[in-house]
Amino acid sequence: MTAARRATIEFLLDNLVWLMLIVVLIVFSLTVPHFFQFGIFTNILEQSTFVGVMAIGLAIVIISGNLDLSVESTAALSAMVTGLLFATQGIGLGLTLDPAWLLLPVSLGIAMLVGALIGFINGFFVVRVGMAAFIVTLASFIWVRGLVVAISGGRSAQRLPDAIRVVGTEDILGIPLLAWISIACFVIFSILMAKTPFGRYITLVGGNAEATYRAGINSNRILWSSFVVAGLLAGVAGWLLAIRTSGATANLGTGMLFNAFAAVVIGGISLKGGIGKLPGVYAGVLLLYSIHTAINLMGLPAHYTQVILGGLVLAAVLLDTLKLRLREKLL
Amino acid sequence: MPEKQPLLKLESICKHFGAIEALRGIDMEIDRGEVVALLGDNGAGKSTLVKIISGGLRPSSGRIVMEGEPQEFASPAEAKAAGIETVYQDLSLCTNADVVANFFMGREITRRYFGIPVLQERAMEAVVAQAMADGGTNIPSLRTNVEHLSGGQRQAIELNRFVHWGGKLVLLDEPFAALGVEQTRRGLEMIRHVAARGIGVVVITHIMAQAFQVADRIVVVRHGQVAGDVRTDETTTDQVIDMITGGSLSGAGKGRE
Repeated sequence: MTAARRATIEFLLDNLVWLMLIVVLIVFSLTVPHFFQFGIFTNILEQSTFVGVMAIGLAIVIISGNLDLSVESTAALSAMVTGLLFATQGIGLGLTLDPAWLLLPVSLGIAMLVGALIGFINGFFVVRVGMAAFIVTLASFIWVRGLVVAISGGRSAQRLPDAIRVVGTEDILGIPLLAWISIACFVIFSILMAKTPFGRYITLVGGNAEATYRAGINSNRILWSSFVVAGLLAGVAGWLLAIRTSGATANLGTGMLFNAFAAVVIGGISLKGGIGKLPGVYAGVLLLYSIHTAINLMGLPAHYTQVILGGLVLAAVLLDTLKLRLREKLL
Repeated sequence: MPEKQPLLKLESICKHFGAIEALRGIDMEIDRGEVVALLGDNGAGKSTLVKIISGGLRPSSGRIVMEGEPQEFASPAEAKAAGIETVYQDLSLCTNADVVANFFMGREITRRYFGIPVLQERAMEAVVAQAMADGGTNIPSLRTNVEHLSGGQRQAIELNRFVHWGGKLVLLDEPFAALGVEQTRRGLEMIRHVAARGIGVVVITHIMAQAFQVADRIVVVRHGQVAGDVRTDETTTDQVIDMITGGSLSGAGKGRE
Protein backbone atom coordinates (compact mmCIF):
# COMPACT_ATOMS: atom_id res chain seq x y z
CA MET A 1 0.00 0.00 0.00
CA THR A 2 1.30 3.43 -0.85
CA ALA A 3 1.93 5.98 1.87
CA ALA A 4 -0.60 8.35 0.32
CA ARG A 5 -3.40 5.80 0.33
CA ARG A 6 -2.57 4.75 3.83
CA ALA A 7 -2.69 8.39 4.95
CA THR A 8 -6.05 8.85 3.24
CA ILE A 9 -7.56 5.83 4.98
CA GLU A 10 -6.15 6.95 8.35
CA PHE A 11 -7.62 10.38 7.80
CA LEU A 12 -11.04 9.00 6.90
CA LEU A 13 -11.09 6.63 9.87
CA ASP A 14 -10.04 9.39 12.25
CA ASN A 15 -12.71 11.72 10.98
CA LEU A 16 -15.49 9.25 10.46
CA VAL A 17 -17.87 11.14 12.74
CA TRP A 18 -17.58 14.29 10.58
CA LEU A 19 -18.33 12.18 7.53
CA MET A 20 -21.38 10.78 9.32
CA LEU A 21 -22.50 14.29 10.28
CA ILE A 22 -22.29 15.46 6.66
CA VAL A 23 -24.16 12.40 5.39
CA VAL A 24 -26.86 12.78 8.04
CA LEU A 25 -27.28 16.50 7.29
CA ILE A 26 -27.62 15.79 3.56
CA VAL A 27 -30.10 12.97 4.13
CA PHE A 28 -32.20 15.09 6.50
CA SER A 29 -32.09 18.05 4.13
CA LEU A 30 -33.44 15.87 1.32
CA THR A 31 -36.01 13.90 3.28
CA VAL A 32 -37.20 15.94 6.26
CA PRO A 33 -39.51 18.82 5.30
CA HIS A 34 -38.34 22.31 6.35
CA PHE A 35 -34.97 20.95 7.55
CA PHE A 36 -32.85 22.72 4.96
CA GLN A 37 -32.96 26.26 6.34
CA PHE A 38 -30.30 28.57 7.72
CA GLY A 39 -32.40 29.03 10.86
CA ILE A 40 -32.49 25.29 11.51
CA PHE A 41 -28.72 25.02 11.23
CA THR A 42 -28.07 27.94 13.55
CA ASN A 43 -30.61 26.45 15.94
CA ILE A 44 -28.69 23.17 15.97
CA LEU A 45 -25.49 25.09 16.69
CA GLU A 46 -27.13 27.01 19.51
CA GLN A 47 -28.73 23.96 21.09
CA SER A 48 -25.41 22.14 20.99
CA THR A 49 -23.71 24.81 23.09
CA PHE A 50 -24.53 23.60 26.59
CA VAL A 51 -23.92 19.89 26.15
CA GLY A 52 -20.99 20.73 23.89
CA VAL A 53 -19.09 22.79 26.44
CA MET A 54 -19.80 20.18 29.10
CA ALA A 55 -18.70 17.35 26.79
CA ILE A 56 -15.26 18.94 26.31
CA GLY A 57 -14.49 18.56 30.00
CA LEU A 58 -16.00 15.10 30.15
CA ALA A 59 -13.93 14.05 27.13
CA ILE A 60 -10.71 15.30 28.73
CA VAL A 61 -11.38 13.30 31.91
CA ILE A 62 -12.20 10.20 29.86
CA ILE A 63 -9.09 10.56 27.70
CA SER A 64 -7.00 10.70 30.89
CA GLY A 65 -8.49 7.32 31.78
CA ASN A 66 -11.13 8.36 34.33
CA LEU A 67 -14.81 9.17 34.39
CA ASP A 68 -16.84 12.17 35.60
CA LEU A 69 -20.54 11.62 36.22
CA SER A 70 -20.89 14.85 38.17
CA VAL A 71 -20.65 17.39 35.32
CA GLU A 72 -24.42 17.75 34.97
CA SER A 73 -24.98 18.54 38.65
CA THR A 74 -21.95 20.82 38.67
CA ALA A 75 -23.41 22.79 35.78
CA ALA A 76 -26.71 23.03 37.65
CA LEU A 77 -24.93 24.34 40.76
CA SER A 78 -23.08 27.00 38.78
CA ALA A 79 -26.33 28.00 37.09
CA MET A 80 -28.09 28.20 40.43
CA VAL A 81 -25.33 30.27 42.02
CA THR A 82 -25.44 32.64 39.04
CA GLY A 83 -29.23 32.87 39.30
CA LEU A 84 -29.20 33.25 43.06
CA LEU A 85 -26.69 36.09 43.04
CA PHE A 86 -27.71 38.08 40.00
CA ALA A 87 -31.35 37.31 39.05
CA THR A 88 -33.82 40.00 40.05
CA GLN A 89 -36.94 37.91 40.67
CA GLY A 90 -37.82 34.76 42.58
CA ILE A 91 -35.07 33.82 44.99
CA GLY A 92 -32.54 35.96 43.10
CA LEU A 93 -30.67 38.47 45.26
CA GLY A 94 -30.30 40.85 42.33
CA LEU A 95 -26.74 41.97 43.08
CA THR A 96 -25.66 44.91 40.98
CA LEU A 97 -22.24 46.16 40.02
CA ASP A 98 -21.05 49.50 38.76
CA PRO A 99 -20.40 49.70 35.84
CA ALA A 100 -23.01 47.16 34.82
CA TRP A 101 -20.86 45.38 32.20
CA LEU A 102 -18.74 44.03 35.03
CA LEU A 103 -21.61 41.65 35.78
CA LEU A 104 -20.65 39.54 32.80
CA PRO A 105 -17.04 38.65 33.70
CA VAL A 106 -17.78 38.52 37.43
CA SER A 107 -20.70 36.11 37.05
CA LEU A 108 -18.69 33.95 34.65
CA GLY A 109 -15.75 33.94 37.03
CA ILE A 110 -17.93 32.86 39.93
CA ALA A 111 -19.58 30.11 37.87
CA MET A 112 -16.15 28.81 36.78
CA LEU A 113 -14.88 28.93 40.34
CA VAL A 114 -17.85 26.94 41.63
CA GLY A 115 -17.33 24.33 38.90
CA ALA A 116 -13.57 24.14 39.44
CA LEU A 117 -14.13 23.65 43.17
CA ILE A 118 -16.38 20.63 42.59
CA GLY A 119 -13.80 19.26 40.15
CA PHE A 120 -11.07 19.84 42.72
CA ILE A 121 -13.03 17.87 45.32
CA ASN A 122 -13.58 15.01 42.84
CA GLY A 123 -9.87 15.03 42.02
CA PHE A 124 -8.97 14.94 45.70
CA PHE A 125 -10.92 11.75 46.33
CA VAL A 126 -9.85 10.03 43.12
CA VAL A 127 -6.18 10.99 43.01
CA ARG A 128 -5.18 11.63 46.61
CA VAL A 129 -7.44 9.17 48.43
CA GLY A 130 -7.35 6.65 45.58
CA MET A 131 -11.07 5.97 45.27
CA ALA A 132 -12.70 4.82 42.03
CA ALA A 133 -13.73 7.76 39.86
CA PHE A 134 -17.06 6.12 39.12
CA ILE A 135 -18.12 6.11 42.79
CA VAL A 136 -16.64 9.50 43.66
CA THR A 137 -18.31 11.31 40.78
CA LEU A 138 -21.56 9.39 41.19
CA ALA A 139 -21.62 10.65 44.78
CA SER A 140 -20.93 14.18 43.53
CA PHE A 141 -23.68 13.80 40.94
CA ILE A 142 -26.07 13.20 43.83
CA TRP A 143 -24.81 15.57 46.54
CA VAL A 144 -24.18 18.51 44.23
CA ARG A 145 -27.71 18.25 42.85
CA GLY A 146 -28.88 18.01 46.45
CA LEU A 147 -26.99 21.20 47.19
CA VAL A 148 -28.74 22.92 44.29
CA VAL A 149 -32.13 21.95 45.70
CA ALA A 150 -31.04 22.93 49.21
CA ILE A 151 -29.73 26.42 48.44
CA SER A 152 -32.73 27.19 46.25
CA GLY A 153 -35.26 25.65 48.60
CA GLY A 154 -36.72 24.05 45.49
CA ARG A 155 -37.75 27.44 44.14
CA SER A 156 -36.39 29.25 41.10
CA ALA A 157 -34.53 32.44 40.27
CA GLN A 158 -35.74 34.47 37.29
CA ARG A 159 -34.76 37.43 35.17
CA LEU A 160 -31.05 37.95 34.90
CA PRO A 161 -30.06 41.56 34.23
CA ASP A 162 -29.68 42.57 30.59
CA ALA A 163 -25.95 43.12 31.05
CA ILE A 164 -25.57 39.36 31.41
CA ARG A 165 -28.38 38.35 29.07
CA VAL A 166 -26.72 39.90 25.99
CA VAL A 167 -24.76 36.67 25.66
CA GLY A 168 -27.99 34.78 25.05
CA THR A 169 -29.65 37.32 22.77
CA GLU A 170 -26.96 38.73 20.50
CA ASP A 171 -25.69 37.17 17.32
CA ILE A 172 -22.71 37.68 15.05
CA LEU A 173 -22.99 37.08 11.28
CA GLY A 174 -26.44 35.61 11.91
CA ILE A 175 -25.07 32.94 14.22
CA PRO A 176 -26.02 33.20 17.89
CA LEU A 177 -23.29 34.34 20.27
CA LEU A 178 -23.94 31.19 22.32
CA ALA A 179 -22.90 29.05 19.36
CA TRP A 180 -19.76 31.14 18.88
CA ILE A 181 -18.85 30.57 22.52
CA SER A 182 -19.06 26.80 22.19
CA ILE A 183 -17.09 26.92 18.94
CA ALA A 184 -14.45 29.05 20.67
CA CYS A 185 -14.29 26.59 23.57
CA PHE A 186 -13.79 23.70 21.16
CA VAL A 187 -11.07 25.53 19.24
CA ILE A 188 -9.21 26.57 22.39
CA PHE A 189 -9.35 23.17 24.02
CA SER A 190 -8.59 21.28 20.81
CA ILE A 191 -5.40 23.33 20.50
CA LEU A 192 -4.64 22.79 24.17
CA MET A 193 -5.02 19.02 23.77
CA ALA A 194 -3.13 18.72 20.50
CA LYS A 195 -0.35 21.28 20.87
CA THR A 196 0.62 21.70 24.51
CA PRO A 197 2.44 19.44 26.96
CA PHE A 198 -0.68 19.41 29.16
CA GLY A 199 -2.78 17.84 26.41
CA ARG A 200 0.02 15.47 25.47
CA TYR A 201 0.33 14.28 29.08
CA ILE A 202 -3.45 13.79 29.39
CA THR A 203 -3.28 11.40 26.43
CA LEU A 204 -0.12 9.66 27.66
CA VAL A 205 -1.45 9.19 31.20
CA GLY A 206 -4.65 7.75 29.73
CA GLY A 207 -2.57 5.31 27.71
CA ASN A 208 -0.12 4.10 30.36
CA ALA A 209 -0.03 5.94 33.68
CA GLU A 210 2.85 3.80 34.97
CA ALA A 211 5.04 4.74 32.02
CA THR A 212 4.42 8.46 32.51
CA TYR A 213 5.23 8.13 36.21
CA ARG A 214 8.50 6.41 35.34
CA ALA A 215 9.25 9.09 32.77
CA GLY A 216 9.09 11.66 35.54
CA ILE A 217 5.73 13.17 34.64
CA ASN A 218 3.65 14.09 37.66
CA SER A 219 0.74 11.94 36.52
CA ASN A 220 -1.31 12.59 39.65
CA ARG A 221 -1.25 16.32 39.02
CA ILE A 222 -2.34 15.72 35.43
CA LEU A 223 -5.25 13.51 36.53
CA TRP A 224 -6.29 15.97 39.21
CA SER A 225 -6.20 18.92 36.85
CA SER A 226 -8.35 17.03 34.32
CA PHE A 227 -11.09 16.91 36.95
CA VAL A 228 -10.66 20.62 37.68
CA VAL A 229 -10.90 21.42 33.96
CA ALA A 230 -14.04 19.27 33.64
CA GLY A 231 -15.61 21.08 36.59
CA LEU A 232 -14.60 24.45 35.24
CA LEU A 233 -16.16 23.74 31.84
CA ALA A 234 -19.29 22.34 33.49
CA GLY A 235 -19.40 25.66 35.34
CA VAL A 236 -19.26 27.54 32.05
CA ALA A 237 -22.00 25.29 30.63
CA GLY A 238 -24.16 26.04 33.68
CA TRP A 239 -23.56 29.76 33.34
CA LEU A 240 -24.59 29.62 29.68
CA LEU A 241 -27.67 27.60 30.61
CA ALA A 242 -28.67 30.15 33.24
CA ILE A 243 -28.31 32.92 30.66
CA ARG A 244 -30.34 30.99 28.11
CA THR A 245 -33.20 30.41 30.54
CA SER A 246 -32.63 33.80 32.20
CA GLY A 247 -32.44 32.22 35.62
CA ALA A 248 -32.24 28.83 37.20
CA THR A 249 -34.54 26.15 38.56
CA ALA A 250 -33.61 23.34 40.89
CA ASN A 251 -33.96 20.71 38.16
CA LEU A 252 -32.14 22.67 35.46
CA GLY A 253 -30.06 20.55 33.10
CA THR A 254 -31.40 17.15 34.16
CA GLY A 255 -30.50 14.54 31.55
CA MET A 256 -27.60 16.54 30.08
CA LEU A 257 -25.10 14.01 31.39
CA PHE A 258 -26.36 11.30 29.10
CA ASN A 259 -26.34 13.56 26.08
CA ALA A 260 -22.80 14.59 26.91
CA PHE A 261 -21.74 10.97 27.28
CA ALA A 262 -23.44 10.05 24.03
CA ALA A 263 -21.67 12.90 22.24
CA VAL A 264 -18.30 11.89 23.65
CA VAL A 265 -18.72 8.25 22.61
CA ILE A 266 -20.12 9.12 19.19
CA GLY A 267 -17.24 11.56 18.81
CA GLY A 268 -14.77 8.67 18.95
CA ILE A 269 -13.46 8.98 22.51
CA SER A 270 -12.72 5.51 23.87
CA LEU A 271 -13.95 4.87 27.41
CA LYS A 272 -10.76 2.90 27.93
CA GLY A 273 -8.85 6.16 27.90
CA GLY A 274 -6.05 7.61 25.83
CA ILE A 275 -7.92 7.63 22.53
CA GLY A 276 -9.92 10.32 20.77
CA LYS A 277 -9.79 13.95 19.75
CA LEU A 278 -11.91 16.92 20.72
CA PRO A 279 -13.06 18.06 17.25
CA GLY A 280 -14.72 14.65 16.91
CA VAL A 281 -16.68 15.37 20.09
CA TYR A 282 -18.03 18.58 18.58
CA ALA A 283 -19.15 16.61 15.54
CA GLY A 284 -20.76 14.15 17.94
CA VAL A 285 -22.72 16.91 19.67
CA LEU A 286 -23.83 18.39 16.36
CA LEU A 287 -24.88 14.96 15.12
CA LEU A 288 -26.89 14.40 18.29
CA TYR A 289 -28.76 17.70 17.98
CA SER A 290 -29.29 17.32 14.24
CA ILE A 291 -31.14 14.11 15.01
CA HIS A 292 -33.06 15.80 17.85
CA THR A 293 -34.11 18.54 15.47
CA ALA A 294 -35.09 16.16 12.69
CA ILE A 295 -37.25 14.15 15.09
CA ASN A 296 -38.95 17.35 16.24
CA LEU A 297 -39.57 18.47 12.66
CA MET A 298 -41.02 15.13 11.67
CA GLY A 299 -43.44 15.48 14.55
CA LEU A 300 -42.51 12.18 16.13
CA PRO A 301 -43.39 11.89 19.80
CA ALA A 302 -40.43 13.01 21.93
CA HIS A 303 -40.24 9.55 23.50
CA TYR A 304 -38.74 8.18 20.32
CA THR A 305 -35.79 10.53 20.67
CA GLN A 306 -34.41 8.52 23.56
CA VAL A 307 -34.79 5.22 21.72
CA ILE A 308 -32.99 6.61 18.71
CA LEU A 309 -30.22 8.23 20.75
CA GLY A 310 -29.66 5.03 22.69
CA GLY A 311 -29.39 3.15 19.43
CA LEU A 312 -26.98 5.79 18.15
CA VAL A 313 -24.66 5.35 21.13
CA LEU A 314 -24.67 1.61 20.61
CA ALA A 315 -23.93 2.11 16.93
CA ALA A 316 -21.07 4.44 17.80
CA VAL A 317 -19.41 1.88 20.05
CA LEU A 318 -19.93 -0.78 17.42
CA LEU A 319 -18.39 1.52 14.85
CA ASP A 320 -15.39 2.03 17.10
CA THR A 321 -14.81 -1.73 17.21
CA LEU A 322 -15.27 -1.98 13.45
CA LYS A 323 -12.84 0.87 12.90
CA LEU A 324 -10.20 -0.95 14.90
CA ARG A 325 -10.65 -4.11 12.82
CA LEU A 326 -10.62 -2.16 9.60
CA ARG A 327 -7.42 -0.42 10.64
CA GLU A 328 -5.75 -3.73 11.41
CA LYS A 329 -6.82 -5.12 8.06
CA LEU A 330 -5.91 -2.11 5.93
CA LEU A 331 -2.83 -0.73 7.61
CA MET B 1 39.16 14.07 46.70
CA PRO B 2 35.95 14.15 44.68
CA GLU B 3 37.56 12.51 41.62
CA LYS B 4 37.97 9.27 43.52
CA GLN B 5 34.35 9.02 44.53
CA PRO B 6 32.42 6.33 42.68
CA LEU B 7 29.48 7.44 40.56
CA LEU B 8 27.03 5.46 42.63
CA LYS B 9 27.60 3.72 45.91
CA LEU B 10 25.05 1.54 47.67
CA GLU B 11 25.61 1.07 51.38
CA SER B 12 23.89 -1.86 53.10
CA ILE B 13 20.59 -1.43 51.26
CA CYS B 14 17.79 -3.44 52.86
CA LYS B 15 14.23 -3.79 51.70
CA HIS B 16 11.49 -5.81 53.26
CA PHE B 17 7.89 -6.21 52.20
CA GLY B 18 6.10 -7.14 55.39
CA ALA B 19 7.90 -10.17 56.74
CA ILE B 20 9.64 -10.91 53.45
CA GLU B 21 13.19 -9.68 53.21
CA ALA B 22 13.87 -8.98 49.55
CA LEU B 23 17.22 -7.30 50.08
CA ARG B 24 19.45 -7.96 53.07
CA GLY B 25 22.25 -5.43 52.97
CA ILE B 26 23.48 -4.78 49.45
CA ASP B 27 26.83 -3.03 49.07
CA MET B 28 28.08 -2.15 45.62
CA GLU B 29 29.72 0.57 43.60
CA ILE B 30 29.52 1.70 40.01
CA ASP B 31 32.10 3.95 38.38
CA ARG B 32 31.78 6.35 35.50
CA GLY B 33 32.12 4.59 32.16
CA GLU B 34 31.83 1.18 33.76
CA VAL B 35 29.45 -1.56 32.66
CA VAL B 36 28.26 -3.76 35.49
CA ALA B 37 26.20 -6.87 34.85
CA LEU B 38 23.82 -7.72 37.64
CA LEU B 39 23.14 -11.44 37.70
CA GLY B 40 21.04 -13.61 39.91
CA ASP B 41 18.39 -16.27 39.95
CA ASN B 42 14.69 -15.45 39.76
CA GLY B 43 13.61 -13.84 42.99
CA ALA B 44 17.15 -13.00 44.04
CA GLY B 45 16.23 -9.34 44.40
CA LYS B 46 17.64 -7.83 41.18
CA SER B 47 14.45 -6.07 40.13
CA THR B 48 13.85 -4.74 43.64
CA LEU B 49 17.37 -3.34 43.64
CA VAL B 50 16.82 -1.65 40.27
CA LYS B 51 13.56 -0.12 41.49
CA ILE B 52 15.32 1.29 44.54
CA ILE B 53 18.10 2.87 42.48
CA SER B 54 15.60 4.27 39.96
CA GLY B 55 13.33 5.79 42.61
CA GLY B 56 10.37 3.44 42.19
CA LEU B 57 10.82 1.99 45.68
CA ARG B 58 12.38 3.39 48.84
CA PRO B 59 14.84 1.22 50.77
CA SER B 60 13.84 0.11 54.27
CA SER B 61 17.34 1.02 55.39
CA GLY B 62 20.73 1.80 53.89
CA ARG B 63 22.12 4.69 51.89
CA ILE B 64 22.37 5.60 48.22
CA VAL B 65 25.34 7.85 47.60
CA MET B 66 25.65 9.46 44.19
CA GLU B 67 28.91 11.28 43.44
CA GLY B 68 29.56 11.58 47.16
CA GLU B 69 26.13 13.02 47.93
CA PRO B 70 23.64 10.91 49.88
CA GLN B 71 20.40 10.72 47.92
CA GLU B 72 16.84 9.76 48.75
CA PHE B 73 14.68 9.29 45.71
CA ALA B 74 10.98 9.65 46.47
CA SER B 75 9.96 9.11 42.84
CA PRO B 76 11.43 8.19 39.45
CA ALA B 77 11.27 11.89 38.62
CA GLU B 78 13.82 12.64 41.35
CA ALA B 79 16.14 9.84 40.30
CA LYS B 80 15.90 11.09 36.73
CA ALA B 81 16.72 14.61 37.86
CA ALA B 82 19.85 13.20 39.51
CA GLY B 83 20.82 11.64 36.16
CA ILE B 84 19.59 8.07 36.47
CA GLU B 85 17.86 6.62 33.39
CA THR B 86 16.04 3.30 33.50
CA VAL B 87 14.89 0.89 30.82
CA TYR B 88 12.36 -1.41 32.41
CA GLN B 89 11.70 -5.05 31.68
CA ASP B 90 8.01 -4.40 30.99
CA LEU B 91 8.42 -1.55 28.57
CA SER B 92 7.45 1.96 29.59
CA LEU B 93 5.75 3.04 26.40
CA CYS B 94 2.35 4.59 25.83
CA THR B 95 1.08 2.53 22.93
CA ASN B 96 -1.71 5.02 22.20
CA ALA B 97 0.82 7.68 21.23
CA ASP B 98 3.30 7.92 18.36
CA VAL B 99 7.03 7.22 18.42
CA VAL B 100 7.98 10.88 18.81
CA ALA B 101 5.66 11.40 21.78
CA ASN B 102 7.10 8.34 23.48
CA PHE B 103 10.69 9.29 22.80
CA PHE B 104 10.23 12.72 24.35
CA MET B 105 7.87 11.67 27.14
CA GLY B 106 8.25 14.25 29.90
CA ARG B 107 10.96 16.23 28.07
CA GLU B 108 9.09 17.75 25.14
CA ILE B 109 10.64 20.57 23.18
CA THR B 110 8.36 23.56 23.58
CA ARG B 111 8.29 27.18 22.61
CA ARG B 112 6.27 29.75 24.50
CA TYR B 113 3.70 31.82 22.70
CA PHE B 114 2.13 34.40 25.03
CA GLY B 115 3.39 32.36 27.95
CA ILE B 116 1.75 29.14 26.73
CA PRO B 117 4.15 26.29 25.99
CA VAL B 118 3.53 24.83 22.55
CA LEU B 119 4.94 21.49 21.38
CA GLN B 120 7.52 21.78 18.59
CA GLU B 121 6.63 18.62 16.68
CA ARG B 122 8.98 19.12 13.75
CA ALA B 123 12.01 19.77 15.89
CA MET B 124 11.20 16.70 17.97
CA GLU B 125 10.64 14.50 14.95
CA ALA B 126 14.01 15.51 13.52
CA VAL B 127 15.76 14.56 16.77
CA VAL B 128 14.01 11.19 16.90
CA ALA B 129 14.79 10.46 13.25
CA GLN B 130 18.47 11.15 13.92
CA ALA B 131 18.52 9.02 17.08
CA MET B 132 16.80 6.12 15.29
CA ALA B 133 19.19 6.34 12.37
CA ASP B 134 22.18 6.35 14.75
CA GLY B 135 20.82 3.27 16.47
CA GLY B 136 20.24 1.51 13.17
CA THR B 137 16.54 1.14 13.92
CA ASN B 138 14.18 1.14 11.01
CA ILE B 139 10.68 2.34 11.78
CA PRO B 140 8.55 3.20 8.73
CA SER B 141 6.87 6.26 10.20
CA LEU B 142 7.69 8.06 13.41
CA ARG B 143 4.08 9.23 13.45
CA THR B 144 2.73 5.68 13.80
CA ASN B 145 1.25 4.84 17.15
CA VAL B 146 3.44 2.43 19.06
CA GLU B 147 0.60 -0.11 19.23
CA HIS B 148 1.19 -0.85 15.53
CA LEU B 149 4.88 -1.69 16.08
CA SER B 150 6.50 -5.03 16.82
CA GLY B 151 8.01 -6.01 20.15
CA GLY B 152 11.51 -5.57 18.79
CA GLN B 153 10.76 -2.11 17.43
CA ARG B 154 9.29 -1.09 20.77
CA GLN B 155 12.36 -2.23 22.65
CA ALA B 156 14.54 -0.44 20.13
CA ILE B 157 12.69 2.79 20.87
CA GLU B 158 13.42 2.38 24.57
CA LEU B 159 17.08 1.63 23.92
CA ASN B 160 17.51 4.57 21.58
CA ARG B 161 15.78 6.72 24.13
CA PHE B 162 18.32 5.93 26.83
CA VAL B 163 21.24 6.30 24.44
CA HIS B 164 19.98 9.73 23.49
CA TRP B 165 19.22 11.05 26.98
CA GLY B 166 22.11 9.30 28.70
CA GLY B 167 22.33 11.08 32.02
CA LYS B 168 25.00 9.80 34.39
CA LEU B 169 23.85 6.28 35.14
CA VAL B 170 21.72 3.92 33.07
CA LEU B 171 19.86 0.92 34.45
CA LEU B 172 18.77 -1.73 31.96
CA ASP B 173 16.40 -4.41 33.24
CA GLU B 174 16.47 -7.37 30.82
CA PRO B 175 16.81 -5.02 27.86
CA PHE B 176 17.10 -7.62 25.11
CA ALA B 177 14.20 -9.90 25.99
CA ALA B 178 12.30 -9.13 22.78
CA LEU B 179 15.20 -8.53 20.41
CA GLY B 180 16.50 -10.66 17.57
CA VAL B 181 20.11 -11.71 17.18
CA GLU B 182 21.23 -8.77 15.06
CA GLN B 183 19.35 -6.25 17.18
CA THR B 184 20.86 -7.73 20.34
CA ARG B 185 24.34 -7.33 18.88
CA ARG B 186 23.50 -3.70 18.13
CA GLY B 187 22.12 -3.29 21.64
CA LEU B 188 25.32 -4.57 23.20
CA GLU B 189 27.33 -2.23 21.01
CA MET B 190 25.09 0.61 22.15
CA ILE B 191 25.90 -0.19 25.75
CA ARG B 192 29.64 0.00 25.14
CA HIS B 193 29.12 3.17 23.17
CA VAL B 194 27.20 4.76 26.05
CA ALA B 195 29.80 3.64 28.60
CA ALA B 196 32.54 5.15 26.43
CA ARG B 197 30.84 8.51 26.99
CA GLY B 198 31.58 8.14 30.70
CA ILE B 199 28.15 6.96 31.69
CA GLY B 200 27.82 4.17 34.22
CA VAL B 201 25.70 1.24 33.03
CA VAL B 202 24.02 -1.49 35.04
CA VAL B 203 22.64 -4.37 32.95
CA ILE B 204 20.40 -7.00 34.41
CA THR B 205 20.33 -10.17 32.40
CA HIS B 206 19.75 -13.87 32.59
CA ILE B 207 22.04 -14.64 29.72
CA MET B 208 25.56 -15.36 30.87
CA ALA B 209 27.12 -14.89 27.44
CA GLN B 210 25.76 -11.35 27.19
CA ALA B 211 27.13 -10.48 30.62
CA PHE B 212 30.60 -11.65 29.67
CA GLN B 213 30.40 -9.96 26.30
CA VAL B 214 29.51 -6.51 27.53
CA ALA B 215 30.35 -6.10 31.22
CA ASP B 216 33.54 -4.95 32.93
CA ARG B 217 32.37 -6.37 36.20
CA ILE B 218 29.80 -8.94 37.27
CA VAL B 219 27.83 -8.59 40.49
CA VAL B 220 25.82 -11.60 41.59
CA VAL B 221 22.85 -11.21 43.90
CA ARG B 222 21.66 -14.25 45.82
CA HIS B 223 18.97 -14.29 48.50
CA GLY B 224 19.05 -10.51 48.73
CA GLN B 225 22.79 -10.26 49.31
CA VAL B 226 25.82 -9.74 47.10
CA ALA B 227 27.16 -13.22 46.55
CA GLY B 228 29.98 -12.16 44.30
CA ASP B 229 31.57 -9.07 42.78
CA VAL B 230 34.23 -9.93 40.22
CA ARG B 231 35.95 -8.45 37.20
CA THR B 232 34.78 -10.16 34.03
CA ASP B 233 38.31 -10.93 32.87
CA GLU B 234 39.19 -12.55 36.19
CA THR B 235 36.42 -15.09 36.29
CA THR B 236 34.81 -17.87 34.33
CA THR B 237 31.25 -18.83 33.50
CA ASP B 238 31.43 -21.78 35.86
CA GLN B 239 32.49 -19.62 38.76
CA VAL B 240 29.64 -17.19 38.14
CA ILE B 241 27.11 -20.01 37.89
CA ASP B 242 28.38 -21.31 41.21
CA MET B 243 27.82 -17.88 42.71
CA ILE B 244 24.31 -17.65 41.32
CA THR B 245 23.26 -21.08 42.50
CA GLY B 246 25.29 -21.08 45.70
CA GLY B 247 27.11 -24.22 44.61
CA SER B 248 30.38 -22.82 45.84
CA LEU B 249 31.69 -19.49 47.04
CA SER B 250 35.04 -19.85 45.34
CA GLY B 251 34.79 -16.66 43.32
CA ALA B 252 33.06 -14.55 45.95
CA GLY B 253 34.86 -11.66 47.43
CA LYS B 254 37.33 -11.30 44.61
CA GLY B 255 37.85 -7.68 43.81
CA ARG B 256 36.13 -6.53 47.00
CA GLU B 257 37.64 -4.80 49.96
